[in-house]
This record gives sequence, C-alpha cells and structure tokens, in this order.
Amino acid sequence: MLEHLNKTASVPQRVVVIGSGGFVGSAIAARLASQGVSVEGLTRKEVDLLADDAATRLAGRLKDGDSVVFVSAIAPARNAAALMQNLRMAEAVVKGLTAKAPDHVIYISSDSVYADDASPVKESSSCQPATMHGMMHAARELVLKNEIKAPLALLRPSLLYGARDPHNGYGPNRFRRQAAKGEPITLFGNGEEQRDHVFIDDVAELVALTLRHRSRGILNIATGVSMSFRTIAEKVVALSGKSSDIDPSARHNAVTHRHFDVTSCLKAFPRFRYTPLDEGLKRAASEESGARP
Amino acid sequence: MSGPIVGFAGLTHLGLVSAVGTASKGFRVVGYDGDSARVHDIKAGKLPVVEPDLDEMAREFADNLSFTDRLSDLAQCDIVYISTDVPTDDKGQSDLTSINASIGNVIAALGPEAILIILCQVPPGFTRKLPLPTERLYYQVETLVFGRAVERATKPERFIIGCADPSYPLPPAYKTLLEAFGCPLLPMLYESAELAKIAINCCLVASVTVANTLAELSERIGADWSEIAPALRLDRRIGQYSYLAPGLGIAGGNLERDLATVLRLSEQCGSEASVIAAYLTNSKHRRDWALRMVHREVFGRKPDASLGILGLAYKENTHSVKNSPSLALIENLHSWPITVYDPVVPASAATHPKVTAAASALDAARGADALIVMTPWPQFRDLRAADIAAAMEGNVVIDPFGVLDGPGLRAAGMAHFVLGKPERAGA
Repeated sequence: MLEHLNKTASVPQRVVVIGSGGFVGSAIAARLASQGVSVEGLTRKEVDLLADDAATRLAGRLKDGDSVVFVSAIAPARNAAALMQNLRMAEAVVKGLTAKAPDHVIYISSDSVYADDASPVKESSSCQPATMHGMMHAARELVLKNEIKAPLALLRPSLLYGARDPHNGYGPNRFRRQAAKGEPITLFGNGEEQRDHVFIDDVAELVALTLRHRSRGILNIATGVSMSFRTIAEKVVALSGKSSDIDPSARHNAVTHRHFDVTSCLKAFPRFRYTPLDEGLKRAASEESGARP
Repeated sequence: MSGPIVGFAGLTHLGLVSAVGTASKGFRVVGYDGDSARVHDIKAGKLPVVEPDLDEMAREFADNLSFTDRLSDLAQCDIVYISTDVPTDDKGQSDLTSINASIGNVIAALGPEAILIILCQVPPGFTRKLPLPTERLYYQVETLVFGRAVERATKPERFIIGCADPSYPLPPAYKTLLEAFGCPLLPMLYESAELAKIAINCCLVASVTVANTLAELSERIGADWSEIAPALRLDRRIGQYSYLAPGLGIAGGNLERDLATVLRLSEQCGSEASVIAAYLTNSKHRRDWALRMVHREVFGRKPDASLGILGLAYKENTHSVKNSPSLALIENLHSWPITVYDPVVPASAATHPKVTAAASALDAARGADALIVMTPWPQFRDLRAADIAAAMEGNVVIDPFGVLDGPGLRAAGMAHFVLGKPERAGA
C-alpha cells in the first residue's frame, strides 16, 4: 500500500530517470516530459552503473530537490553473473544517492518477487521469489529500503506490453508481431495460463502519479483482469486482420494462473483507470505499425 | 423475590444490557458508572445504547433497577460484575488500563463477603492475577451480540464460569443468580473460561470466513450462495444457527480482538495459528467488496458519478460504527460526492469532503448514479424498487446483504449486485 506524503498532488521539481533508454524508462521519461515535468534521462552512455566511477558520476548528475526513478536492470537476470551485475548496479545507485540525497525515490521492481502460488497477489503477499530474476528484484528492494533515506516507493509491475518492447517474450508483444506477419502463433500447451498484462503507458502514468503524491510504500502495477494466453492470441489475430494459426504445443509444465487484487491501487489513486486490454492491444499495434517504415 | 443484590460496575453496552437482563429475572440490581452524565441520562430513561426491547424492558423492571455514580453504593451488593466494555485499538489489541483501574476501585468498595465476577473481555490469564481471594473471584463469559443483546442476556444458552478450582461448589448467592436463567452451568478453570470465550468467536469467524470465501467463488462461477447456505444449515454437523451469511468482513471490534489475542498468545508460546491470520486476510479482502464493485460498475463508465449510501453503523440495530465497512468505504470515496442516510448514526460520522445528509433512505437515492446499501437495517427492506428506480439517475444498486427487492429492481431496469450472487445476474 502506498502512503501519500503530498496530500495535494504537485509536480516534482525535476525527475532523474536512471535507465531512460529502455522500454519502461523511456515510456516514463516521455510521459513525464509530456506533462511538463523537467526530466533528466540517464542511459548507460551518461552513467554506466557497472563502471568503477558510477556512484560519483550519478551523484554529479543530481541536484537538490530531485526525484529519482530507478529502472535500469539487466533483465531478465537468468544466472548468477546477471544477478551479481544487477546488485552491483543497485549498490552504485545507493552510493550515488547517499552522496547526493534526492527528495523521493521510485524503484521499478517486478511481481516476480512474489511466490509462484500467490494468487490473488496483493501488496501484502509474501515475497518468495522462485526465479533468479525475482530474487534480484527482491534483493535490490531490500538494499534500497535499508540504505536510502528519502521516501521510497517500490512499484511491482506484472507483465508489460507495448510497441517498443525489445524482449519479444511469450505473450502479447511476440503474438502481435507474429500476427502482423501472418505467422503462426505457438502456445505453450493450449495457452491456458491466465496472466495480468499491463499496457506500458499505464506504468508511466502510475509513476507520474506516485511522483506527484510523493508516495512511499509498495504498489503492484496490474489491471486486476487476468486472461489466458490463448484469449490474448485470439484477440491479437482478430486485430491484425490476418489469419495466423494459433497452434497448441506439448505442455511441459503444470498450468498456473496469476490474478491480482488491485484494491490498494483503487485506494491510492481512485481516479486512475487502467487501459483495457482490447484498447491497449490496438494502440500497441497501431504504434508499432506507425513506427515501421 | 429475595435473592442476592447484584451490582454492575460499568454501564456501557455490556453492563447496561446485562443489568436490565438480570433485573428482568427478579433480582435487585445496582448499576454503577463513574460517568455522572451517563448515569443521569440512564436515570432519565435516555439509554446510551440502541438494542431492540432494551428501553421497554428497562421501564418494565424499573423497580428492580437503581443507577448510581457513587462507588460506595456497590457495598450493599452480594455480587458485583465488572462490566465495562474494554476498548480496542486498530489492531484489535485490548487497552486494559481503564479496566485495571476500575477493578482496583471496585475491590476497595466491595462488602467483606461479596463476590467479584469479571464479565468483560479480558485475555486468558487475567483473572487469576487479580488481588482477591479465589473463593470470591470468578470470570463469566459474556456472549452478547450487538443488535440481539437483550435476547442473549435474558435467554443464554449456557453460563461458562471461570473458577480457581471448578471442583469446588459455586457460592450459594452466585448459584441462585445463575439458576434463575434456567440454562446449563459449566464451571471450569479461569483460563479455560477465558479461552472458551475466544474459542466461540473463533468458531463464528471460521464459519463466516467459509461463507465469505465461497460467496466470492459463487459470484465468479455463477453459483448462488443463498441457495447453498440453507442446505448447509440442515446438516446437523453444521447447524441451523451457524454463521453462514456472507458479509463485508469481520467488524465490531470483539471478534478482531479475540483473533489478535490468539495470534499474540500463539506467537508467545509457539503454537501454530496461521489459519487465524488467514481469517484476517480474508476479512480485509471482503471489506472492500463494495469499493471494487463501485469502481468496476460505476466509475469506469461515469467518472463523475454521485453516490447514495444507506447505512453507517457496522451492522443493523446498533449505533456502533467500530470498524464499520460503510465508513471504510466512504474513506476511499473522497473524489466523489456522496449522500448518506442511517436511521441511528448521524451523517457527521462520515469524514468526507463532499457528504450530504439525507432525510430518508429514498432521499439518499435521489439523483444518485449508484445506490450502495452498506448496513442491512430492516427498514431498508420497505423501500419499493419502483421508487428507487424513479428516484435514481443511474441504474446500479450495490446491495451486499440483499436487503432490497432484487427481482423488482431488475424488472425496473436496475442492475442489482449482492454478495454471493452470480455477477452476471447484476448485468
């Protein structure tokens, strides 16, 4: 649950987005800029968080009264090396933010910190990561909670989709691209697993709201509506206007579902509305086709 | 009837109802409270609690009842009950400060032979530590229910009596008093009786949590819990009086207190009590049912909706708003104008920047995009579906307890949402 330190929302003085070159970071920076917020985007070019001088360089970029959104990660962290690199990045951020203390910090974490069988997931669900990636986010959260003095908000998004997603993982992004080319979509099993997919713009808006309210605490980023991968594939194919086949495949894992109880978001940001999946898929498809020459 | 004179120290809900109930059995009763204004009101017939039949019974047995703010008036009593309601904090923890002070004062005022009985909500281990010879010290479980307290006080199912040694006979005066109620007497160790009170409440919470859990599932899969519950009641292992009506979580304070006590004691002594934490998790989840429903059915379609809310009390037939689901809902509706009506609780109990007090239940519905019935007051059942439909601007009626005329509302074109009913039925 988030606690708002600003009882009346106000535009932050300046927001530094660490990791503004990525899918999530760029969406956040663009949304803030479109709302007239002064944004300083940092990519690996400005501050390489794995470099020896990362903390100093980061501190050098900060000004009094800054808010910081920490998005950078080597994701997904699949092995020990990636885990350790991600933790070194967090260590550099903590050192930088200790040398030059910001006014407010948001960390973009992940719902992978929760146990696989946590359903419905809520902010009070136990953190019990089942993957290296989840453990990486959980460890980073702990590092930040222990060492950052400024108010800290931990935002834990579910699965994200949008035109600029670079991972092309199993789900709406890959399905959309396959459907656009008329290629078959292959499901795991029959695509029975239900998941909660969030449009990238909603993440950006929730970050903007969290900044304006100078909120601290934990908030899951999830719509509260979970759908099966098969349903999503069918929606994507229907939207594409083409006739991709949707093929089942042999199942290797048991079917698991993940639902979210999003009540705390209704309480934290009562006026905020998530983009319904149908609309988000349409916008992602249109943005992606518009981006292609 | 000649019998023991019975004192009640503390005239909040527990003490007042118990005093009137005891007077109704023919005993002379002395009700004491240190709050002079409260005693003055009670003497004038203005009882500070709302319970069906309480005022009438207090008038009928007025000759047996005397009320005082003088502690020394308790010296004439053969038996004195400590009957102050023990307040709880937000986490359900009891604040025993005032009760400890009150017991000390009462012990000092007791006659030399008088028996002291702890009737209020105390944690296991409390009674045995009190500074009074054990042959004059007892604990008695109270099982009043807000809204049905007079019935519970006058027709108890049994008396559970905590003693230092249950193999010793009860003092004659105390036995005479208890036997007047014509129910079984169950003497047991202080600690057993103190835990028995908590055990009763844990069983009630277990039943209602089953109902809440399966009511939510019913809503999602198209089953109707109201069809299922009667089938369970006819099963002797479950019982016709079991708590199977779904609700908006646990409220009122006493059940939460007992769950918190079990969690604390289990943590201290290392017993396994994860199910108790699960009850609390489920309770918090169901408390927000109406909030989720109003977001899904109303705000998503009309961002500037106005709402009518019926009921502020935590349940019907009470003035209590302790942990009231209605107030919890209203706390999260500050962005929208609301009009509220409760037959007993004033609108000022709702802290909200845009709240209007309605003069009647129908008045609260007037012009509303959605009507939400948060307390199942019986008088709301009298509202006619056609009148509600005509008064409202929108067509969403969120009625968790199903007090309104569902078929009538649907016939009038309204969407009616009830706990445990298939969600599609509201569409």
